[in-house]
Amino acid sequence: MTVPVADTLLVPVARIDGCALACLIDASTGMVIAAMQREGSISLPAAAGGAADIANVVGLLSGELATGDGLEDVILTFNHHFHVIRPVRPDMDTQILLLVILDRTRTNLAMARRAIRDFCTSLSA
Amino acid sequence: MDGYGNLIAGRLRKLAAAGSTGTLPFSGHCGGAIHFHDGQVVYAESTRTPGTRVVAAAGVPLPGGPPLAALPPLTRLAAILAVTEPAVDAALELMSAESRYGRFRPARVPAADPACGIPVDSLLAEVTRRQRLLRQLATVVTADTAVARNPELNSPGVQVSARQWAVLIRVRPGITPRALAWELRRSVFSTTAEVYRLLVLRLLFAAGQPARAAATGLVSAGAAGLEAAGLEAAGLEAAGLEAAGLEAAGLEAAGLEAAGTGTAGMGTAGTGTTGMGTTGAGPADGHGPALISFIRAVASEPGATRRPARIGSGARRQGPLALPPAG
Repeated sequence: MTVPVADTLLVPVARIDGCALACLIDASTGMVIAAMQREGSISLPAAAGGAADIANVVGLLSGELATGDGLEDVILTFNHHFHVIRPVRPDMDTQILLLVILDRTRTNLAMARRAIRDFCTSLSA
Repeated sequence: MDGYGNLIAGRLRKLAAAGSTGTLPFSGHCGGAIHFHDGQVVYAESTRTPGTRVVAAAGVPLPGGPPLAALPPLTRLAAILAVTEPAVDAALELMSAESRYGRFRPARVPAADPACGIPVDSLLAEVTRRQRLLRQLATVVTADTAVARNPELNSPGVQVSARQWAVLIRVRPGITPRALAWELRRSVFSTTAEVYRLLVLRLLFAAGQPARAAATGLVSAGAAGLEAAGLEAAGLEAAGLEAAGLEAAGLEAAGLEAAGTGTAGMGTAGTGTTGMGTTGAGPADGHGPALISFIRAVASEPGATRRPARIGSGARRQGPLALPPAG
Protein backbone atom coordinates (compact mmCIF):
# COMPACT_ATOMS: atom_id res chain seq x y z
CA MET A 1 0.00 0.00 0.00
CA THR A 2 1.41 3.41 -0.81
CA VAL A 3 0.25 6.84 0.11
CA PRO A 4 0.52 8.95 -3.05
CA VAL A 5 1.69 12.07 -1.21
CA ALA A 6 4.63 10.10 0.20
CA ASP A 7 5.80 8.91 -3.21
CA THR A 8 7.24 12.33 -3.99
CA LEU A 9 9.79 11.85 -1.21
CA LEU A 10 11.52 9.26 -3.40
CA VAL A 11 12.15 11.54 -6.39
CA PRO A 12 15.87 12.01 -5.52
CA VAL A 13 16.34 8.24 -5.27
CA ALA A 14 14.56 7.60 -8.55
CA ARG A 15 17.18 9.79 -10.25
CA ILE A 16 20.02 7.37 -9.36
CA ASP A 17 21.40 5.77 -12.52
CA GLY A 18 19.88 2.36 -13.03
CA CYS A 19 17.19 2.75 -10.38
CA ALA A 20 14.43 0.29 -11.22
CA LEU A 21 12.43 0.55 -8.00
CA ALA A 22 12.58 2.53 -4.80
CA CYS A 23 10.29 2.19 -1.82
CA LEU A 24 9.97 3.02 1.85
CA ILE A 25 8.82 0.20 4.11
CA ASP A 26 7.69 0.09 7.72
CA ALA A 27 9.92 -2.74 8.96
CA SER A 28 7.66 -3.58 11.86
CA THR A 29 4.55 -4.24 9.79
CA GLY A 30 6.03 -4.74 6.32
CA MET A 31 3.77 -2.04 4.93
CA VAL A 32 5.00 -0.11 1.88
CA ILE A 33 4.58 3.59 2.59
CA ALA A 34 5.90 5.05 -0.64
CA ALA A 35 7.12 3.65 -3.92
CA MET A 36 8.43 4.67 -7.33
CA GLN A 37 8.90 1.99 -9.94
CA ARG A 38 10.44 2.06 -13.40
CA GLU A 39 10.48 -1.64 -14.21
CA GLY A 40 7.05 -3.15 -14.09
CA SER A 41 8.42 -6.70 -14.13
CA ILE A 42 9.56 -6.44 -10.52
CA SER A 43 6.91 -7.38 -7.97
CA LEU A 44 6.81 -4.56 -5.43
CA PRO A 45 5.01 -6.54 -2.70
CA ALA A 46 7.46 -9.42 -2.99
CA ALA A 47 10.51 -7.17 -3.05
CA ALA A 48 9.27 -5.14 -0.07
CA GLY A 49 8.25 -8.21 1.90
CA GLY A 50 11.61 -9.79 1.27
CA ALA A 51 13.45 -6.63 2.29
CA ALA A 52 11.51 -6.43 5.56
CA ASP A 53 12.21 -10.11 6.25
CA ILE A 54 15.92 -9.65 5.60
CA ALA A 55 16.09 -6.57 7.82
CA ASN A 56 14.34 -8.45 10.59
CA VAL A 57 16.68 -11.43 10.30
CA VAL A 58 19.69 -9.12 10.41
CA GLY A 59 18.16 -7.50 13.46
CA LEU A 60 17.93 -10.96 14.95
CA LEU A 61 21.59 -11.56 14.22
CA SER A 62 22.55 -8.21 15.75
CA GLY A 63 20.44 -8.97 18.77
CA GLU A 64 22.03 -12.34 19.31
CA LEU A 65 25.54 -11.00 18.79
CA ALA A 66 24.70 -8.23 21.26
CA THR A 67 27.79 -6.29 20.31
CA GLY A 68 26.02 -3.00 19.77
CA ASP A 69 27.21 -3.00 16.18
CA GLY A 70 24.92 -1.00 13.95
CA LEU A 71 23.55 -1.99 10.53
CA GLU A 72 24.24 0.44 7.72
CA ASP A 73 22.85 -1.41 4.77
CA VAL A 74 22.34 -4.81 3.18
CA ILE A 75 23.23 -5.39 -0.46
CA LEU A 76 21.92 -8.38 -2.38
CA THR A 77 23.54 -9.18 -5.71
CA PHE A 78 21.40 -10.95 -8.26
CA ASN A 79 22.25 -11.71 -11.87
CA HIS A 80 20.56 -8.58 -13.19
CA HIS A 81 19.88 -6.38 -10.16
CA PHE A 82 21.30 -5.11 -6.92
CA HIS A 83 18.92 -4.76 -3.98
CA VAL A 84 20.09 -2.19 -1.43
CA ILE A 85 18.26 -2.15 1.88
CA ARG A 86 19.00 0.64 4.34
CA PRO A 87 17.34 1.79 7.56
CA VAL A 88 16.41 5.42 6.99
CA ARG A 89 17.25 6.39 10.52
CA PRO A 90 18.10 3.64 12.97
CA ASP A 91 17.18 5.61 16.07
CA MET A 92 13.60 6.28 15.03
CA ASP A 93 10.90 4.66 17.07
CA THR A 94 9.25 3.48 13.88
CA GLN A 95 11.86 1.67 11.84
CA ILE A 96 11.58 2.66 8.20
CA LEU A 97 13.59 0.91 5.52
CA LEU A 98 14.59 2.22 2.12
CA LEU A 99 14.75 -0.44 -0.58
CA VAL A 100 16.38 0.48 -3.87
CA ILE A 101 16.62 -2.00 -6.74
CA LEU A 102 19.26 -1.16 -9.33
CA ASP A 103 19.82 -2.48 -12.84
CA ARG A 104 23.36 -3.87 -12.85
CA THR A 105 23.97 -2.93 -16.45
CA ARG A 106 23.15 0.73 -15.89
CA THR A 107 24.36 1.52 -12.40
CA ASN A 108 27.56 2.14 -10.49
CA LEU A 109 27.02 0.44 -7.15
CA ALA A 110 29.47 2.57 -5.19
CA MET A 111 27.96 5.79 -6.48
CA ALA A 112 24.47 4.51 -5.91
CA ARG A 113 25.26 3.45 -2.38
CA ARG A 114 26.63 6.88 -1.65
CA ALA A 115 23.58 8.56 -3.13
CA ILE A 116 21.34 6.35 -1.02
CA ARG A 117 23.30 7.21 2.09
CA ASP A 118 23.10 10.92 1.28
CA PHE A 119 19.35 10.62 0.69
CA CYS A 120 18.81 9.02 4.09
CA THR A 121 20.91 11.76 5.68
CA SER A 122 18.92 14.44 3.90
CA LEU A 123 15.66 12.92 5.10
CA SER A 124 16.82 13.39 8.64
CA ALA A 125 17.82 17.00 8.10
CA MET B 1 -10.99 -12.10 2.81
CA ASP B 2 -14.15 -13.85 4.02
CA GLY B 3 -17.65 -13.32 2.68
CA TYR B 4 -18.50 -10.38 4.88
CA GLY B 5 -15.17 -8.81 4.20
CA ASN B 6 -15.97 -9.02 0.49
CA LEU B 7 -19.26 -7.21 1.10
CA ILE B 8 -17.48 -4.37 2.83
CA ALA B 9 -14.83 -4.29 0.09
CA GLY B 10 -17.55 -3.99 -2.52
CA ARG B 11 -19.17 -1.12 -0.65
CA LEU B 12 -15.87 0.70 -0.29
CA ARG B 13 -15.14 0.31 -4.01
CA LYS B 14 -18.52 1.77 -4.89
CA LEU B 15 -17.88 4.77 -2.69
CA ALA B 16 -14.44 5.19 -4.26
CA ALA B 17 -15.86 4.97 -7.79
CA ALA B 18 -18.42 7.62 -6.94
CA GLY B 19 -15.72 9.97 -5.61
CA SER B 20 -17.56 10.21 -2.30
CA THR B 21 -16.79 12.51 0.61
CA GLY B 22 -18.23 11.57 3.97
CA THR B 23 -18.35 8.80 6.53
CA LEU B 24 -19.29 5.13 6.39
CA PRO B 25 -20.23 4.14 9.96
CA PHE B 26 -19.87 0.67 11.43
CA SER B 27 -21.63 -0.86 14.40
CA GLY B 28 -21.70 -4.12 16.25
CA HIS B 29 -19.00 -5.78 18.30
CA CYS B 30 -16.50 -3.42 16.73
CA GLY B 31 -17.92 0.00 15.97
CA GLY B 32 -16.17 2.71 14.06
CA ALA B 33 -16.09 4.57 10.78
CA ILE B 34 -14.20 4.94 7.53
CA HIS B 35 -13.88 8.49 6.28
CA PHE B 36 -13.70 9.40 2.60
CA HIS B 37 -12.65 12.44 0.62
CA ASP B 38 -13.12 12.43 -3.15
CA GLY B 39 -13.26 8.65 -3.16
CA GLN B 40 -10.08 8.11 -1.16
CA VAL B 41 -9.90 6.91 2.42
CA VAL B 42 -8.52 9.70 4.58
CA TYR B 43 -8.97 8.01 7.93
CA ALA B 44 -10.54 5.07 9.69
CA GLU B 45 -11.28 4.47 13.34
CA SER B 46 -12.62 1.64 15.42
CA THR B 47 -13.50 1.06 19.06
CA ARG B 48 -11.01 -1.79 19.30
CA THR B 49 -7.90 0.00 18.04
CA PRO B 50 -6.16 3.06 19.54
CA GLY B 51 -6.69 5.16 16.43
CA THR B 52 -6.82 8.85 17.14
CA ARG B 53 -4.88 8.36 20.36
CA VAL B 54 -2.01 7.20 18.18
CA VAL B 55 -2.35 10.27 16.03
CA ALA B 56 -2.50 12.52 19.07
CA ALA B 57 0.53 10.83 20.56
CA ALA B 58 2.45 11.47 17.36
CA GLY B 59 1.53 15.14 17.54
CA VAL B 60 -0.08 15.01 14.13
CA PRO B 61 -3.04 17.31 13.74
CA LEU B 62 -6.18 16.34 11.91
CA PRO B 63 -7.76 18.97 9.62
CA GLY B 64 -6.58 22.51 10.21
CA GLY B 65 -2.97 21.72 11.00
CA PRO B 66 0.14 22.70 9.06
CA PRO B 67 0.18 21.33 5.51
CA LEU B 68 2.30 18.22 4.97
CA ALA B 69 4.41 19.87 2.32
CA ALA B 70 5.61 22.43 4.89
CA LEU B 71 7.07 19.75 7.14
CA PRO B 72 10.68 18.48 6.92
CA PRO B 73 10.90 15.18 5.01
CA LEU B 74 11.31 12.83 7.95
CA THR B 75 8.63 14.62 9.94
CA ARG B 76 6.39 14.44 6.90
CA LEU B 77 7.01 10.72 6.65
CA ALA B 78 6.33 10.23 10.35
CA ALA B 79 3.15 12.30 10.02
CA ILE B 80 1.93 10.22 7.10
CA LEU B 81 2.66 7.02 8.96
CA ALA B 82 1.00 8.34 12.10
CA VAL B 83 -2.25 8.72 10.17
CA THR B 84 -2.12 5.76 7.80
CA GLU B 85 -1.05 3.10 10.31
CA PRO B 86 -3.98 3.64 12.70
CA ALA B 87 -6.32 3.96 9.72
CA VAL B 88 -5.20 0.64 8.27
CA ASP B 89 -5.29 -0.89 11.74
CA ALA B 90 -8.88 0.22 12.21
CA ALA B 91 -9.91 -0.89 8.72
CA LEU B 92 -8.44 -4.33 9.43
CA GLU B 93 -10.53 -4.55 12.57
CA LEU B 94 -13.72 -3.31 10.94
CA MET B 95 -13.50 -5.68 8.00
CA SER B 96 -14.41 -8.63 10.16
CA ALA B 97 -17.59 -10.57 10.56
CA GLU B 98 -18.36 -8.78 13.79
CA SER B 99 -19.01 -5.34 12.30
CA ARG B 100 -21.86 -4.11 10.11
CA TYR B 101 -21.72 -1.00 8.00
CA GLY B 102 -24.52 1.52 8.05
CA ARG B 103 -25.75 4.19 5.69
CA PHE B 104 -23.08 6.41 4.18
CA ARG B 105 -23.23 9.98 5.50
CA PRO B 106 -22.09 12.50 2.91
CA ALA B 107 -20.21 15.54 4.17
CA ARG B 108 -18.70 18.64 2.63
CA VAL B 109 -15.65 18.75 4.87
CA PRO B 110 -13.44 15.66 5.19
CA ALA B 111 -12.91 14.31 8.66
CA ALA B 112 -9.14 14.17 8.27
CA ASP B 113 -6.35 15.74 6.23
CA PRO B 114 -7.07 14.80 2.61
CA ALA B 115 -3.35 14.95 1.85
CA CYS B 116 -3.03 11.48 3.40
CA GLY B 117 -5.66 9.93 1.17
CA ILE B 118 -5.28 6.20 0.56
CA PRO B 119 -6.74 4.65 -2.59
CA VAL B 120 -9.34 2.05 -1.65
CA ASP B 121 -7.69 -0.73 -3.66
CA SER B 122 -4.38 -0.10 -1.89
CA LEU B 123 -6.12 -0.16 1.48
CA LEU B 124 -7.91 -3.42 0.69
CA ALA B 125 -4.68 -5.02 -0.53
CA GLU B 126 -2.92 -4.01 2.68
CA VAL B 127 -5.77 -5.31 4.84
CA THR B 128 -5.65 -8.63 3.00
CA ARG B 129 -1.88 -8.84 3.46
CA ARG B 130 -2.22 -8.23 7.18
CA GLN B 131 -4.94 -10.83 7.48
CA ARG B 132 -2.57 -13.38 5.93
CA LEU B 133 0.17 -12.35 8.35
CA LEU B 134 -2.18 -12.67 11.30
CA ARG B 135 -3.01 -16.18 10.16
CA GLN B 136 0.72 -16.95 10.35
CA LEU B 137 0.77 -15.75 13.94
CA ALA B 138 -2.58 -17.14 15.01
CA THR B 139 -1.29 -20.58 15.98
CA VAL B 140 0.80 -18.89 18.66
CA VAL B 141 -0.75 -15.54 19.48
CA THR B 142 -3.59 -13.24 18.48
CA ALA B 143 -4.37 -9.68 19.53
CA ASP B 144 -6.49 -11.06 22.38
CA THR B 145 -4.18 -13.80 23.66
CA ALA B 146 -3.02 -13.32 27.23
CA VAL B 147 0.76 -13.30 27.52
CA ALA B 148 3.17 -13.23 30.42
CA ARG B 149 6.84 -12.69 30.95
CA ASN B 150 8.95 -15.79 31.00
CA PRO B 151 10.30 -16.19 34.52
CA GLU B 152 13.12 -18.48 33.46
CA LEU B 153 16.11 -16.64 32.13
CA ASN B 154 19.15 -18.79 31.92
CA SER B 155 21.00 -18.21 28.67
CA PRO B 156 23.46 -15.75 27.17
CA GLY B 157 22.26 -12.21 26.67
CA VAL B 158 20.49 -10.78 23.69
CA GLN B 159 19.62 -7.24 22.75
CA VAL B 160 16.09 -6.16 22.09
CA SER B 161 14.96 -3.11 20.20
CA ALA B 162 13.54 -0.05 21.88
CA ARG B 163 10.07 -0.98 20.67
CA GLN B 164 10.40 -4.45 22.12
CA TRP B 165 11.66 -3.13 25.42
CA ALA B 166 8.68 -0.80 25.67
CA VAL B 167 6.41 -3.81 25.28
CA LEU B 168 8.43 -6.01 27.61
CA ILE B 169 8.36 -3.70 30.61
CA ARG B 170 4.59 -3.32 30.39
CA VAL B 171 3.79 -7.02 30.32
CA ARG B 172 1.97 -8.24 33.39
CA PRO B 173 -0.05 -11.41 33.95
CA GLY B 174 -3.13 -11.60 31.76
CA ILE B 175 -2.31 -8.70 29.49
CA THR B 176 -3.00 -9.01 25.77
CA PRO B 177 -1.32 -7.42 22.74
CA ARG B 178 -4.44 -5.32 22.25
CA ALA B 179 -4.22 -3.91 25.78
CA LEU B 180 -0.52 -3.24 25.28
CA ALA B 181 -1.31 -1.39 22.07
CA TRP B 182 -3.70 0.91 23.91
CA GLU B 183 -1.15 1.58 26.62
CA LEU B 184 1.62 2.21 24.14
CA ARG B 185 -0.64 4.16 21.76
CA ARG B 186 0.48 1.98 18.89
CA SER B 187 -1.43 -0.02 16.34
CA VAL B 188 -2.81 -3.36 17.48
CA PHE B 189 -1.31 -5.11 14.47
CA SER B 190 2.24 -3.88 15.00
CA THR B 191 2.04 -4.60 18.74
CA THR B 192 0.83 -8.13 18.06
CA ALA B 193 3.78 -8.61 15.72
CA GLU B 194 6.20 -7.32 18.37
CA VAL B 195 4.69 -9.61 21.00
CA TYR B 196 5.12 -12.50 18.58
CA ARG B 197 8.78 -11.60 18.13
CA LEU B 198 9.20 -11.58 21.91
CA LEU B 199 7.54 -14.98 22.04
CA VAL B 200 10.04 -16.25 19.49
CA LEU B 201 12.80 -14.85 21.71
CA ARG B 202 11.09 -16.66 24.59
CA LEU B 203 11.03 -13.54 26.68
CA LEU B 204 7.28 -13.97 26.77
CA PHE B 205 4.99 -16.94 26.66
CA ALA B 206 1.35 -17.17 25.64
CA ALA B 207 -1.36 -18.35 27.99
CA GLY B 208 -1.87 -22.05 27.73
CA GLN B 209 1.66 -22.67 26.55
CA PRO B 210 4.50 -23.78 28.78
CA ALA B 211 7.07 -21.16 29.64
CA ARG B 212 10.05 -22.70 27.91
CA ALA B 213 13.43 -21.66 29.16
CA ALA B 214 14.12 -18.34 27.54
CA ALA B 215 16.80 -17.75 25.00
CA THR B 216 17.99 -14.81 27.08
CA GLY B 217 19.55 -14.40 30.46
CA LEU B 218 20.47 -10.79 30.07
CA VAL B 219 18.59 -8.21 28.16
CA SER B 220 21.38 -5.85 27.41
CA ALA B 221 20.91 -2.22 26.69
CA GLY B 222 23.16 0.41 25.27
CA ALA B 223 23.90 3.69 26.93
CA ALA B 224 22.26 5.34 23.95
CA GLY B 225 19.26 3.14 24.43
CA LEU B 226 17.36 5.56 26.63
CA GLU B 227 17.46 8.18 23.92
CA ALA B 228 16.69 5.64 21.25
CA ALA B 229 13.61 4.54 23.17
CA GLY B 230 12.22 8.00 22.85
CA LEU B 231 12.46 8.72 26.54
CA GLU B 232 10.18 5.88 27.50
CA ALA B 233 11.01 6.56 31.12
CA ALA B 234 9.60 10.05 30.81
CA GLY B 235 6.58 8.58 29.10
CA LEU B 236 6.08 6.20 31.96
CA GLU B 237 6.21 9.02 34.50
CA ALA B 238 3.91 11.17 32.47
CA ALA B 239 1.38 8.40 32.21
CA GLY B 240 1.73 7.67 35.87
CA LEU B 241 2.76 4.14 35.07
CA GLU B 242 4.78 3.62 38.19
CA ALA B 243 3.85 -0.01 38.19
CA ALA B 244 5.53 -0.40 34.81
CA GLY B 245 8.56 1.34 36.28
CA LEU B 246 8.57 -1.17 39.08
CA GLU B 247 8.35 -3.91 36.50
CA ALA B 248 11.42 -2.46 34.80
CA ALA B 249 13.16 -2.38 38.15
CA GLY B 250 12.06 -5.94 38.65
CA LEU B 251 13.81 -6.90 35.46
CA GLU B 252 16.95 -5.31 36.88
CA ALA B 253 16.61 -7.22 40.11
CA ALA B 254 16.28 -10.43 38.14
CA GLY B 255 19.73 -9.85 36.73
CA LEU B 256 18.72 -8.15 33.56
CA GLU B 257 20.92 -5.15 33.93
CA ALA B 258 22.77 -4.09 30.90
CA ALA B 259 26.15 -5.68 30.85
CA GLY B 260 28.70 -3.03 31.58
CA THR B 261 26.37 -0.08 31.76
CA GLY B 262 24.64 -0.74 35.04
CA THR B 263 21.42 0.68 33.69
CA ALA B 264 18.49 -1.27 32.41
CA GLY B 265 17.25 0.89 29.63
CA MET B 266 16.06 0.38 26.15
CA GLY B 267 18.31 -1.71 24.05
CA THR B 268 18.72 -1.24 20.39
CA ALA B 269 19.25 -4.40 18.47
CA GLY B 270 22.40 -2.89 17.06
CA THR B 271 20.51 -1.62 14.11
CA GLY B 272 17.47 0.06 15.48
CA THR B 273 15.47 -2.41 13.47
CA THR B 274 13.20 -4.81 15.19
CA GLY B 275 15.13 -7.63 16.72
CA MET B 276 13.68 -10.94 15.76
CA GLY B 277 13.78 -13.99 17.90
CA THR B 278 15.58 -17.19 17.22
CA THR B 279 14.40 -20.66 17.73
CA GLY B 280 17.94 -21.91 18.07
CA ALA B 281 19.52 -19.97 20.88
CA GLY B 282 19.40 -21.17 24.43
CA PRO B 283 18.03 -24.58 25.31
CA ALA B 284 18.05 -26.79 22.29
CA ASP B 285 14.44 -27.86 22.18
CA GLY B 286 14.10 -26.24 18.74
CA HIS B 287 10.33 -26.06 18.92
CA GLY B 288 9.77 -22.34 19.24
CA PRO B 289 7.52 -20.44 16.87
CA ALA B 290 8.80 -19.69 13.38
CA LEU B 291 9.91 -16.21 12.34
CA ILE B 292 7.32 -13.88 10.89
CA SER B 293 7.65 -13.92 7.12
CA PHE B 294 6.28 -10.93 5.22
CA ILE B 295 7.13 -12.50 1.92
CA ARG B 296 5.09 -15.58 2.73
CA ALA B 297 2.07 -13.31 3.08
CA VAL B 298 2.72 -12.17 -0.49
CA ALA B 299 3.48 -15.60 -1.89
CA SER B 300 0.18 -16.97 -0.64
CA GLU B 301 -1.87 -14.49 -2.70
CA PRO B 302 -4.33 -16.38 -4.91
CA GLY B 303 -3.30 -14.46 -8.00
CA ALA B 304 0.41 -14.67 -7.34
CA THR B 305 2.32 -15.74 -10.42
CA ARG B 306 4.39 -18.79 -9.81
CA ARG B 307 7.22 -19.20 -12.23
CA PRO B 308 8.66 -22.71 -12.47
CA ALA B 309 12.25 -23.18 -11.44
CA ARG B 310 14.53 -23.25 -14.45
CA ILE B 311 17.33 -25.76 -14.68
CA GLY B 312 20.62 -23.94 -14.96
CA SER B 313 19.44 -20.90 -13.06
CA GLY B 314 20.62 -22.25 -9.75
CA ALA B 315 17.77 -24.68 -9.25
CA ARG B 316 18.87 -28.18 -8.34
CA ARG B 317 17.49 -31.32 -9.85
CA GLN B 318 16.08 -33.73 -7.38
CA GLY B 319 15.75 -37.46 -7.62
CA PRO B 320 17.67 -40.07 -9.62
CA LEU B 321 18.70 -39.52 -13.20
CA ALA B 322 16.81 -41.57 -15.74
CA LEU B 323 19.00 -44.47 -16.84
CA PRO B 324 19.10 -45.58 -20.45
CA PRO B 325 17.42 -48.89 -21.16
CA ALA B 326 19.70 -51.91 -20.77
CA GLY B 327 21.16 -53.42 -23.91
